Amino acid sequence: MPKPTIDAGKAKNTKLAFKTFVRSLKRFRLAIFTAIFLTVVSAITGLFTPKLLGEMTDIAKNTLATGLDWNALGEKALIAILLFVISGLLTYISSCILTIVTAKYTRSLRNQVIDKISRLPISYFDTHKFGDVLSRMSNDIDVIAMTMHQVITDLSFNIITIVGVIIIMAMTSVPLLIISVVTVLLSIIVVGKIAGFAQKYFREQQATLGVLNSKIEENYSGQIVIKSNSHETETLNDFDKTNKKLARTAMRAQVFSMLAIPVTHIFTNLGYVVTCIVGGYFVLEGRISLGNIQAFIQYVTRFNRPINEVASSTATIQSLLAAAERVFEFTAETEEPADEAKQTIEKVKGAVEFHHVNFSYDKKRPIIKDFSAKILPGQQVAIVGPTGAGKTTIINLLMRFYEPDSGYITIDDTPINELSRAEVRGLFGMVLQDTWLFSGTIAENLKYGNPDATDEDVKKAAKISNVHHVIESLPHAYQTVINEDSDNISAGEKQLLTVARVVTANPPMLILDEATSNVDTRTEHLVQAAFEKITEGRTSFVIAHRLSTIRNADLILVMKDGNIIEQGNHDELLKKHGFYAELYNSQFKED
Amino acid sequence: MLRLFKYLKPYILQVIILLASTALQVYCTLRLPALMADIINDGIVPSDMDFIWRTGLLMLGLAVLSAVGALVSNLFAARIGANFSKDLRRDIFAKVISFDLADAKNFSTASLITRTTNDINQVQQAITMILSMLVRAPMFCIVALFMAFETAPDMTWIIAVSAGAILLSVFTIMALVVPKFKIFQKLLDKITLLTRENLTGLRVIRAFNKEKYEKKKFEKTNDEMTRTIIFIEKILNLQNPLINIVFNGMTLLCSWVGISLLQKDIAYLGNMAAFAQYVGQVMISFLLLSVLFIMLPRANVSAGRINEVLGTKPKIHWKKQTAGNIERTPSVEFKDVDFAYEKAEEKVLSNISFRAEAGQTTAIVGSTGSGKSTLINLVPRFFEATSGQILINGLDIKDYSREDLISLIGFVPQRGMLFSGSVKENIAFGAPRASLDDVKNAAKIAQAADFIEKLPKQYNYQIAQGGTNVSGGQKQRLSIARAICKNPSIFVFDDSFSALDMKTDANLRQALTKITKSAVTIIVAQRVSTIKNADQIIVLDQGKVVGKGNHKELLKSCPIYQEIVKSQISEAEYEKELKEARHA
Repeated sequence: MPKPTIDAGKAKNTKLAFKTFVRSLKRFRLAIFTAIFLTVVSAITGLFTPKLLGEMTDIAKNTLATGLDWNALGEKALIAILLFVISGLLTYISSCILTIVTAKYTRSLRNQVIDKISRLPISYFDTHKFGDVLSRMSNDIDVIAMTMHQVITDLSFNIITIVGVIIIMAMTSVPLLIISVVTVLLSIIVVGKIAGFAQKYFREQQATLGVLNSKIEENYSGQIVIKSNSHETETLNDFDKTNKKLARTAMRAQVFSMLAIPVTHIFTNLGYVVTCIVGGYFVLEGRISLGNIQAFIQYVTRFNRPINEVASSTATIQSLLAAAERVFEFTAETEEPADEAKQTIEKVKGAVEFHHVNFSYDKKRPIIKDFSAKILPGQQVAIVGPTGAGKTTIINLLMRFYEPDSGYITIDDTPINELSRAEVRGLFGMVLQDTWLFSGTIAENLKYGNPDATDEDVKKAAKISNVHHVIESLPHAYQTVINEDSDNISAGEKQLLTVARVVTANPPMLILDEATSNVDTRTEHLVQAAFEKITEGRTSFVIAHRLSTIRNADLILVMKDGNIIEQGNHDELLKKHGFYAELYNSQFKED
Repeated sequence: MLRLFKYLKPYILQVIILLASTALQVYCTLRLPALMADIINDGIVPSDMDFIWRTGLLMLGLAVLSAVGALVSNLFAARIGANFSKDLRRDIFAKVISFDLADAKNFSTASLITRTTNDINQVQQAITMILSMLVRAPMFCIVALFMAFETAPDMTWIIAVSAGAILLSVFTIMALVVPKFKIFQKLLDKITLLTRENLTGLRVIRAFNKEKYEKKKFEKTNDEMTRTIIFIEKILNLQNPLINIVFNGMTLLCSWVGISLLQKDIAYLGNMAAFAQYVGQVMISFLLLSVLFIMLPRANVSAGRINEVLGTKPKIHWKKQTAGNIERTPSVEFKDVDFAYEKAEEKVLSNISFRAEAGQTTAIVGSTGSGKSTLINLVPRFFEATSGQILINGLDIKDYSREDLISLIGFVPQRGMLFSGSVKENIAFGAPRASLDDVKNAAKIAQAADFIEKLPKQYNYQIAQGGTNVSGGQKQRLSIARAICKNPSIFVFDDSFSALDMKTDANLRQALTKITKSAVTIIVAQRVSTIKNADQIIVLDQGKVVGKGNHKELLKSCPIYQEIVKSQISEAEYEKELKEARHA
């Protein structure tokens, strides 16, 4: 049966990938060696069936005239049965061992990846695509799971079979052995050439398919635009071109990859026919027995498959190593520096101070320059400015998602880099613009920051956050399951849920990213009201999009192009007639 | 699946060639063991070297012929497979593109994409398998059976026994594994989901210090999946040794029975070997067919999903040619329009009546779910009103041809959607004959000229797929420019200014007034500053018009409008606005 070929490309550094891969398998060493040993024994025991059958034919032929020697025949048959049953049993045991090894190994790889995700600095994810990490977790580990077992058994089983068959064939007849080796080698060379062509066309096909698929995706998502501009004919013509090209390349790739099978067949049949003729001649000459020639013909067919499989497994090994390399690459990324807590804060009051903080994501472009500010307990700080001005940078520093290049931040006069990251983050409750909820019930989501919260606590928090009624109106109320494509909950309601989540956690300080672009005005009103309730008495940082909501803030930081260009309270800033005043007035400008 | 076979019709001649060449290959291949038996029986046993040579050369000829048959049949399998999927893919793509939004509503975009890509691939693979294996395996099976019967009629019962053993083991294994496999698939999806959550929720997880909790949750699923896969594999591992044992047992049985028949007929000496090979062929055919029966149901599901798309009947019937008088002054009028989605009980819109005049701006406001977007989607007839009438330039939209109606309307959707291609191509999307100056002018009005001119290659800058290399606000401005470039007499903006900052928003609206002097403008908006100066504001609540008038009138009379305004400006400012309204 043809095995699926898995093409995951080649490793960048095959040698290194191989070494790392073997080293990572160290704790399964014993199990793998046992499995290989069992496979080898099973391959050897499996070799003898044709030989024994041939011997049976000889016994029958020789004793036919004098009456068949059933004892001798029965003995041979029994040995044959014993050997192939043992061989099957050993194959089974060894594959089960390898199954368990592969499953446990890939399980530990998955755990390593997920663990790594939690240990990498946020900056890693700001500069790498999620899809890239995700594909290492799913595609690459899948490739390893599918190929590892196959590679180990195939290699050990096939190599032993090839060697064993050659030995037995050589014992039977050297000239016949040469005939079969030559035909098999010829077929490998020719098939290899064909495979080269097939590979080239396959790559071409994959590339065209990629282009076509992105066209499909793009046009389907933009259908409303196509419709509202009567662009259907042009779109279809453009699609046709690529589609035709795909059909052409797909056909070429198919023809060449399918060519391998009949070509192998030609050579197999050729070897078969020549063996029949020459073997027949040898029997007549008396150089070889009929039983032996029968056995030989069977060995010829057993010889082809393992050789072809070994030849094709080089590609599989390449894929395996490439996949392993990508996983190792990720697990070897530099982690966040270890977290040493020199101090802790017993009871936080909520005074936050920035001392000459400098920061840049990219050394060439400083984002925050010598920023100092003092926030008293219970005060509200608003950060305003156009999109992309770097408002979230302040939050990133405050939460220790990033560390300042120089300068420091204190909470109640304790520098935050002397606290553990977990402690700093525990001091803040965060409501982000990205309304992330995990798939699970609403109650589970609300308890996320405080697993000990009772159902009553959760309800109370939901009431404070103006979302209790929304939840109650859902079919399963607090037990409603939220998942990625749940459309029973709107973006605004999700935002309210994230507010309730923070309320349940009851943190001493708050960070709020006022997310209003996806929220309709009435829900926005509810979010706003909830914010007002929960910021009372807590030090809070608000990233504001609507200037009308932050006039009462104690400190307003105005950011533009990554710099804090103005700071002060609303009235002070208006008097300056600077950027803030301009922003503020444009909101209520008459046309 | 069967319904898709009609796509093979244009290639019927090729299918016949394929069948014929496959038959040639099968026959030639299967003659070989019989000839080998002849060599043993009529060449070796009576020591006739001449016979061995003659028969050997005949075998060589047959081997070459069988290869030719295989080559030809493979060539045609590839050809037919590639063309089949090309035709199918084109049809489904054309169908989807022809969909009105009302039709597309039944499927999600993601599902339509999967249907055109993945599902077609599944079907294509199945077709190739059918053309190569499903055609070949039964032929091999039948011819081998015949020849086996011919060589050793007394031994045919061995075929039944060994084929039965193979089928029994394969199906037992499948019956045990398939239900577990579904569980495994679900766990695998969950692993992906959890990984994605860990990535997208990165900041939230860290902010709540939940790294360990997330890890534990993941490990639990990971353990469960590992257990399941070990169980599945332990059963699947049985397959190879079992098949091997059956094969070997069958060969042994053939020898044993053959030998015991030798006394009756010496020809069994050669025949039993040939017979064993035939039985082997029959068993391989059965194995191949069993693989096919595992794969086909999957392809069948895909085929069903494809047929669902192809079988969708358009809900909206357009006139081939516009019939009736179109007034020269543009206008849009809704007369008692109701709308409900198919199969839905509740109406999304009920009893909507208003008239939007040329040179005026009509704003539509209301909370999420109030039906604003649905309302404006009725204007270009993306959806069909359930009852009532919509008139554009005095003519019912049902009397327009699609092209004529669309050419009147510049529609800007909520999300700024762009296509891969140059900035210029994107702006001229609805106006293929627009000159570069037209494009530049449209960009200028849409407040996009500034940033375009800062791009490398400016108007020839290549937009990436999904517009990922421009920002959200830039995307919106480009899609506004696209509508302007079309030079329509009716502008429809679906909350199209939301990603713009206040200043750009204001400038844009200012610039727009110059070109909308003689056009109808309909906008859906959230911001009070955007709607304040509209000539007519229509307040929607739960699909009904609850207020109609200008800013000042509504501020006095419409509670829902008051609420919307209040949520955006301070108490003091609200009082001020209200006072102004009262004095006006």
